[in-house]
Amino acid sequence: MREADRREGVWQFLTYTFLLAAVALTLVPIYWMVVAASLPQPAFLSYPPRFLPGTEFLANLDALQGRLDFLRSVGNSVLIAVVYTLLSMLLCSMAGFAFAKYEFRFKEPIFYGILATLVLPIQLLVIPLFLLMVRFGWTNTYQAIILPWAANPIGIFLMRQNMKKIPDALLESARMDGATEFQLFYRIALPTMKSSLAALAIILFLFQWNLFLYPLVVLQEESMYTIPVAFAQLVGFQRVYYDQIMVAATISILPIFALFLALQKQFVSGILAGSLKE
Amino acid sequence: MTADSSTSDAPRRTYEPSAADRLRYARQGVRDALPAVPGVPYLFLAPFFVLFGVFLAFPVVYTLYLSFFEYQGVGDGTILWFDLGFTVVEIKSLASLEFVGLSNYARLFTDELFHQALFNTVFILLVQVPLMIGLALALALALNASFVRFKGVLRTTLALPVSANLVAYSTVFLLLLNEQLGVVNYALARVGVGPIPWLTEPFWARMTIVGAVTWRWVGYNMIILLAGLQNVPRQLYEAAEIDGATRWQKFRYVTLPQLRPVLLFVVVLSTIGTFKLFAEPYIITGGGPSNATLTIVQYVYREAFVNFNLGYASALTYALVVVVGALSIIQIRIGGEDDA
Repeated sequence: MREADRREGVWQFLTYTFLLAAVALTLVPIYWMVVAASLPQPAFLSYPPRFLPGTEFLANLDALQGRLDFLRSVGNSVLIAVVYTLLSMLLCSMAGFAFAKYEFRFKEPIFYGILATLVLPIQLLVIPLFLLMVRFGWTNTYQAIILPWAANPIGIFLMRQNMKKIPDALLESARMDGATEFQLFYRIALPTMKSSLAALAIILFLFQWNLFLYPLVVLQEESMYTIPVAFAQLVGFQRVYYDQIMVAATISILPIFALFLALQKQFVSGILAGSLKE
Repeated sequence: MTADSSTSDAPRRTYEPSAADRLRYARQGVRDALPAVPGVPYLFLAPFFVLFGVFLAFPVVYTLYLSFFEYQGVGDGTILWFDLGFTVVEIKSLASLEFVGLSNYARLFTDELFHQALFNTVFILLVQVPLMIGLALALALALNASFVRFKGVLRTTLALPVSANLVAYSTVFLLLLNEQLGVVNYALARVGVGPIPWLTEPFWARMTIVGAVTWRWVGYNMIILLAGLQNVPRQLYEAAEIDGATRWQKFRYVTLPQLRPVLLFVVVLSTIGTFKLFAEPYIITGGGPSNATLTIVQYVYREAFVNFNLGYASALTYALVVVVGALSIIQIRIGGEDDA
């Protein structure tokens, strides 16, 4: 019996060691990023490397801003991701409501047709979208980045699945009380969808936040760059300034980390719901 | 399937009609379905379908169309023109094109750079997917152990890299792995290893991509696997314990078979994801050294937007669609076989 206890103890110790090692490997690059962002470039490039943060973060940010307006890129990214998320949630929940709660011709074939597009890689769309945006005169605009994928197949799928659970009797009684069809959607269906909407918001936000290939093609003016496009420029410059790039990386990564650490539950349910796509 | 787990049953209970409501329904003979209101569903659908049609359905078809042409430049001709009285509708062509039949597809078979990109992608995939899924499974099992504390925080921390901006994290890895100044080689030197040419030697450059992708996605896969583990019925473990099963036997004969659909799912997901790899090689290695990390999507980007061979790039994209689609089907088949 004591032998079994001892083996259980060793097992528990190994499990914890493994988990903590994984946490360390997850966090070390992030920690090192913050260190590098807060040291003056010469100190950072000295060998052996320094492992404690310095005080030069703002000075490095200043230098970064002198070469490329990175804070504006952050603003662009936040604006685009937030507007995109809200617009897409509205479109997807309206259409999802129609698929869940109304009867109309070709309902099933249309729905499964939309769902089938989930297997197509989004890279498939980049070339024609580029030509379309040139034709519309929309290169270097926000709408060029926001509108494509606002009609999101994963969004309509999630909304339809969850809105099916709303009892018809509830909607029917509201209708008898004189609610319009849009009020049924807005006042009754939407408020029951809070957890699904939160999960969807996280999926949509992260999707837009990470979009790289398409903005790289459509945004050529510095004032319109999103975060990923700005990074592509920073890395492409003749001389690579480590400290400045790390400042940019810190600004791009840490606030989102903090946000999701605060929203743990929604973050995890967002991952689970979004795992249907990528 | 995973969609359902994101919502609790709570809202359903909240909106159960009250007793008074039920009485009223009974009196008025309300059916349990919304009666049709003509036109209403279409109003709800219209905004979605306008954007879906212009920015998704049309591009899918147009890429296929483009793949039979050679791109000559921005279009200048008019396809459609009519006068509605109050306004004039004019649809201009998107591109001036020259029909080349199947020659773009024929070129796929002789294009050595495409074959190199395909080889690189498959190589990265064969190392990366098993490594990442294995790690994710081990982490999920560890987190699922009953004695582990602080599960919530550990789980979220391990999953955080998914939220790191794709390109921002790639630049961090680029600097972390610098051959002379990177902190990784410094740490290795302290234990007498290296310096390892992480970015300048073909094999190590591929391992760099593998490592970066694994760092970002392992926690994500762990969360999906953990949800799968929590769905394994407890009775199965209890029964196995009564039969005196060891830890390994419980894993091999209870956990693995029960988890197989979820495992298959994450393998398919990761395989498809790796096939679409772009940001990491673009930023970290630039596809180099000597194209050792050039991926398919990166090659598409080069052909389309550096060389402006939009027709050939479209054919390349459809090749990617075929490969990804076929792989998903094969993997689902393999996973389903032993069920019988």
